[in-house]
Amino acid sequence: MSFEMILGAWVATGLTLFIFTFLYKDNPLFKLAEHLYVGISVGYTIVKAYDTVVVRLIYEPMVKQGDWSLLFPLGIGLLMLARYVPKASWLSRIAFAFVVGVGSGLAIPRVISSYVLKQIEDTVRPLASMGSDGLTFTASVLNPASNLNAIILLIGVTTVLFYFFFSIEHTGPVHVAARTGVMFLMISFGAAFGYTVMARMSLLIGRLGDLIEYGSPQYGYPTVVLGLVTIILLIVWSRRQKTRPAEHPEV
Amino acid sequence: MSFAERMLRIDRRIIFLLIGVCTLIPLLYPVGLAIKVSSEVRGVYDYIEALPEGSVFLLSLDFDPASKPELYPQAIALLRHAFRKNLRVIGMTLWVSGTGMADQVVTQVAKDMGKVSGKDYVFLGWSPGVSSLIISMGQDLYKAFPSDYYGNPTKDLAVLNGVLTLRDVNYVVSLAAGTAGIETWYVFGKDKYRFELGGGCTGVIAPGLYPLLRSGQINGLIGGLRGAAEYEVLIGQKGRAVAGMDAQSATHFAIIGLVILCNSFYFLIRSGKRRGEA
Repeated sequence: MSFEMILGAWVATGLTLFIFTFLYKDNPLFKLAEHLYVGISVGYTIVKAYDTVVVRLIYEPMVKQGDWSLLFPLGIGLLMLARYVPKASWLSRIAFAFVVGVGSGLAIPRVISSYVLKQIEDTVRPLASMGSDGLTFTASVLNPASNLNAIILLIGVTTVLFYFFFSIEHTGPVHVAARTGVMFLMISFGAAFGYTVMARMSLLIGRLGDLIEYGSPQYGYPTVVLGLVTIILLIVWSRRQKTRPAEHPEV
Repeated sequence: MSFAERMLRIDRRIIFLLIGVCTLIPLLYPVGLAIKVSSEVRGVYDYIEALPEGSVFLLSLDFDPASKPELYPQAIALLRHAFRKNLRVIGMTLWVSGTGMADQVVTQVAKDMGKVSGKDYVFLGWSPGVSSLIISMGQDLYKAFPSDYYGNPTKDLAVLNGVLTLRDVNYVVSLAAGTAGIETWYVFGKDKYRFELGGGCTGVIAPGLYPLLRSGQINGLIGGLRGAAEYEVLIGQKGRAVAGMDAQSATHFAIIGLVILCNSFYFLIRSGKRRGEA
């Protein structure tokens, strides 16, 4: 196994264990790992963005291939930096106007088409089907395309919309509809929370899986060694915290 | 203080420890619980399975290392399936922070399957713009990505022969941890350029994507580690996702048990207080 792989395993194990120490309480090991994560993420993003945007998409086409038409978007982009010069800051509005204008122009029709129209189209489904045998009704809950599910969907959409009618008082039949809507919302939140729990457990499984893998002799037992080091450091830090006099004693 | 009250004030670190143990034991001693394949995961599998050899498959790895445990196994399973079917694979990412990891997974799986960069697959890397990048790819793939991740001119790559725009791509799958991801590919890509789109996602964003699945805007959805395990079962190559399913089930049981216990203690205390007041 290459030295890089072993070093990577030790770094990954150490940082994972440092992050896990937060489950005990906030401590300097956790802070170290947290700050490293933030710093490395930002540093990586800056380097990748510079390499891709400045070098590959601007410098190389212009200087090596002579595509000077890129000066136009480059100029607009540079205008954004005018915000840092108070007297010329108005120039940045040109760049922002361009970004907002193009962005809105691109996004608004597409989003309306994809989210609003397409979803309305899917919500309005036949509550009973007309086939060669005449009028039929499918009552399978497990089949998303069944007529029963179309009815449940219709009730759900309608009652949730009723719940969000704030301009009328929720009394009588409106109250019943709104309460039904709340139940649909609760089921939806429950499903979302269930998925979130599953996702968080998956992340834990992923990290523990790596710790088990890195606990093998081919990596030099980083899980065991760094686990012990982390525990010792936590004990030392915890004892020092207990014996340390209060930083701001009350007068 | 009653037993129920003491239990509700238990040190939360004991619960962390319990969940940790419930995760660790099945990972060390797997039981091998059965995994049933859902129709949404089968949707992606069946579409790839039906593609003829040489079809163009674009895998957009729209996540960063924070979502690796859920989406990395999905990427491995999808790439293995695509390479086994001898599809021409295009890898890319909309997340700059995931570029290195995306390159690693594409390159590693391709190497394991004996595929050659530039001939059987290409990793385009990351380019800025997100929505405008997808639109640009829909108009001219070579302008959107003049070179691949390693700086090779895309026009010279055999794998991209006949692939001028996104219209020439047979199937796109976005593995997403949020935005930009599946929805972006639908709104700015499929809706206009009419390619078929499937998705894989983290568990957190899966419920929000089911409306797209139901309406046919995407033809399949691989949700979280569970979805990855189902896909591994479908391709017959069990990996880390299947290995993690026992642990996933054990932790779910533990959490359900804790929810029931806590609610029972809560209602016990409440009924005790009411009796005391009476």
